[in-house]
Amino acid sequence: MIGPTIEGGQGGVMRVSWWKRAVFFGLAALLVPLAAACPSDEEEATDDAAEAPFRIGVMESATGPGETYGRVAIQAKQMAVDEINAAGGVNGRMIELIVEDSKCSAQDAITAYNKLTDVDGVKIILGTSCSGAMLGAAPLAEADGVILFSGLATNPDIADAGDYIFRTSLSDAQLGIDTGNVLWADGVRTLATITEATDYAEGVRRTSVAQFEARGGELVGEERYPSDTTDFRTQLTKLFDVNPDALHVAAQSEFAGGTIVKQARELGYEGPIYGEIVVVGTTALEIAGDAATGVKAIITDLDPANELGQNVLTRFRENYGYVTLPWYLGSAYDDVYITAECLKQTNDDQDADGFRDCLYDITWSGAIGDNYTFDENGEVVGLANVVIEVLSAGERTEANNGYRVLGAAPTE
Amino acid sequence: MAISAQTDADAAAEAPTPGLITRLARGNIELWANLLVITWAIVFMAWQGTGFAITIGTVFAIWAILAVSLNLVVGFTGLLSVGHVGFFGIGAYTMAVLTSNASYEAARTDAIPTYGWPFFAALPVAVVLAGVVAVVVGVAFNRFRDDIFVLVSFGFAIIAFNTFLNLREITRGAFGIHEIEKPAIGGWVIDGELEFLLFSLALLALVVLVSWLVVSSSFGRVLTAIREDEEAIAVFGYRVTHYKLAIWVISAMMAGLAGGLFASWTSFIDPNSFILLESMLLVSIVILGGLATIWGSLLGAMAFVLMEEGMRFLPFIPPEYVGQARQIVLGVLLVLLMLFRPQGLVGKYRL
Repeated sequence: MIGPTIEGGQGGVMRVSWWKRAVFFGLAALLVPLAAACPSDEEEATDDAAEAPFRIGVMESATGPGETYGRVAIQAKQMAVDEINAAGGVNGRMIELIVEDSKCSAQDAITAYNKLTDVDGVKIILGTSCSGAMLGAAPLAEADGVILFSGLATNPDIADAGDYIFRTSLSDAQLGIDTGNVLWADGVRTLATITEATDYAEGVRRTSVAQFEARGGELVGEERYPSDTTDFRTQLTKLFDVNPDALHVAAQSEFAGGTIVKQARELGYEGPIYGEIVVVGTTALEIAGDAATGVKAIITDLDPANELGQNVLTRFRENYGYVTLPWYLGSAYDDVYITAECLKQTNDDQDADGFRDCLYDITWSGAIGDNYTFDENGEVVGLANVVIEVLSAGERTEANNGYRVLGAAPTE
Repeated sequence: MAISAQTDADAAAEAPTPGLITRLARGNIELWANLLVITWAIVFMAWQGTGFAITIGTVFAIWAILAVSLNLVVGFTGLLSVGHVGFFGIGAYTMAVLTSNASYEAARTDAIPTYGWPFFAALPVAVVLAGVVAVVVGVAFNRFRDDIFVLVSFGFAIIAFNTFLNLREITRGAFGIHEIEKPAIGGWVIDGELEFLLFSLALLALVVLVSWLVVSSSFGRVLTAIREDEEAIAVFGYRVTHYKLAIWVISAMMAGLAGGLFASWTSFIDPNSFILLESMLLVSIVILGGLATIWGSLLGAMAFVLMEEGMRFLPFIPPEYVGQARQIVLGVLLVLLMLFRPQGLVGKYRL
């Protein structure tokens, strides 16, 4: 047999027998529960000092597929905290953010969550920017009585995630209803959809089509593409063959959103195109160029008349040199101020129950809207989607984000 | 001096005993690697104290099961597979579909049927299903070797991911599956984090035991021979393809076990957990620990998890760059390790 020579290839080097390794490993394994049993006295120390900062956790997708959203959210939150601290803090105490990367995955959200709650001892966590990460951490937060407060996650399932789970972002379910109504009101009777295979885009498509069909419309074609697709011509040609009244695009990445619009026009399609916020994002419009002119989208948008919202965008641009996803930026910003207001009331960053009750009672006017509240599911109430239309390439400016607002989405 | 005429071995035998550790460690980089990683683990846990160590321990156990099982194929048999994540995903989705009790509104998301199985009924199904798929795939893969095998296993990982993403009637596609059951023995539900860690370590111990029995048997020696020279061992009359298929299936079943455990631990899975990148990390862990050594895979998994999670404590990084800094430092560390220990922490072979 050839086998034994390989083990013997060691020469004179002394080898550690397998049982010694087993002992080492057993000891290491034993140490895990032992270490867990040791109380950490780090947290108690901070409670003593009245001047100690309020410690708030932040979980966002700093890397991975949701990086664009995560970075904006982290920077907007840091900017809000800097403002609050510069103005003297909350009840004379500063706010300290502890940022962790939850990527876009449930597993990373769980480790980030446990790091924040166990090592840093926080009870209030702002985040996450991805619904998948939110749904991974939510059961733990609910069981531990820790606040999970997102400004970006839009998956409808989050509504049922628990008593300690809140968000200022609107559920995709609402977006879908509004989209279905807009389509019907515009006289669309047959619809084709092209959708990125992600939870967000799929959620938008599903709820939009459900509402559209409920109103009496007919879905005549549907196509899905995986996230890294760059050529949509085959799928689009298939859809245009059945002559739909309109095309609905739901994308997760601005690159795909812009490319679909561009290629649809290149193929000679002249009918109306509808989309959501990604399809009319700054990058998407750049890619699509003039092809995007006239594209309608149903989005959450900062009200131009809301002075605070516009100021936040200006300051963000000054601080970081760019602005993207303005509504989500404002939402992340508002979350910090709502947190500060509730901390003012509870004066204790360990009091998650008090914080939760504060959120249920609060009526807030911030960058993303006036007088909004939270319902019994922790869902934001009092904010609405608006319908926008993309301007021609020549008319697009930094100030108008490339589109004009047509008004609120029809409810009928 | 008289000693100069003696061999090294004689010198070691006659020298006054300088203590067990020093004696073992002399010229033994393997032991140093062991001590380093384990001390590192202990210091890390003692430093962090609380439940975070438990979380890391559970992540370690899952990665370690995957790494040990992959090492059977990559290290012991010499088939470089980057498709392991597919079997991991099959195990996870089997667990999720069979045990989840979540109800979904068909109007706003994809609704899938619920079966409400207990964990311990679903786990064997997850393992067996991963094995069955491995048999089917393995029969086809058996004709390939070396570079081509890497490519076809790559293809398998892509197919698996796209199946999870697009088989929406069963997997809910991109929405993922919620409320996956925790293990329960009688009326006792293993939902505490410490209990779950111990349960995971028990499964890891089982996998290590089985792997050790496999590689130290005559069967294991044939596998090693296949890696060294497939034609030569075939000349001796061994049916090489049968051996390769057998270890491929065993390895896949272990990955299925890890998948079931993972789904239960996170209680929510979506296709993003089973992307090709996870397979690449897994191969990195196996190489980092050392090919053809079970102990090395355990060490590699522990070193990797500690590196990745330890990076959370990097000082002096502005908050918006914490995530990126972690990834960069992790990458640099892996490159450095490969530069100075290309055979891995305790391994003897290079890829």
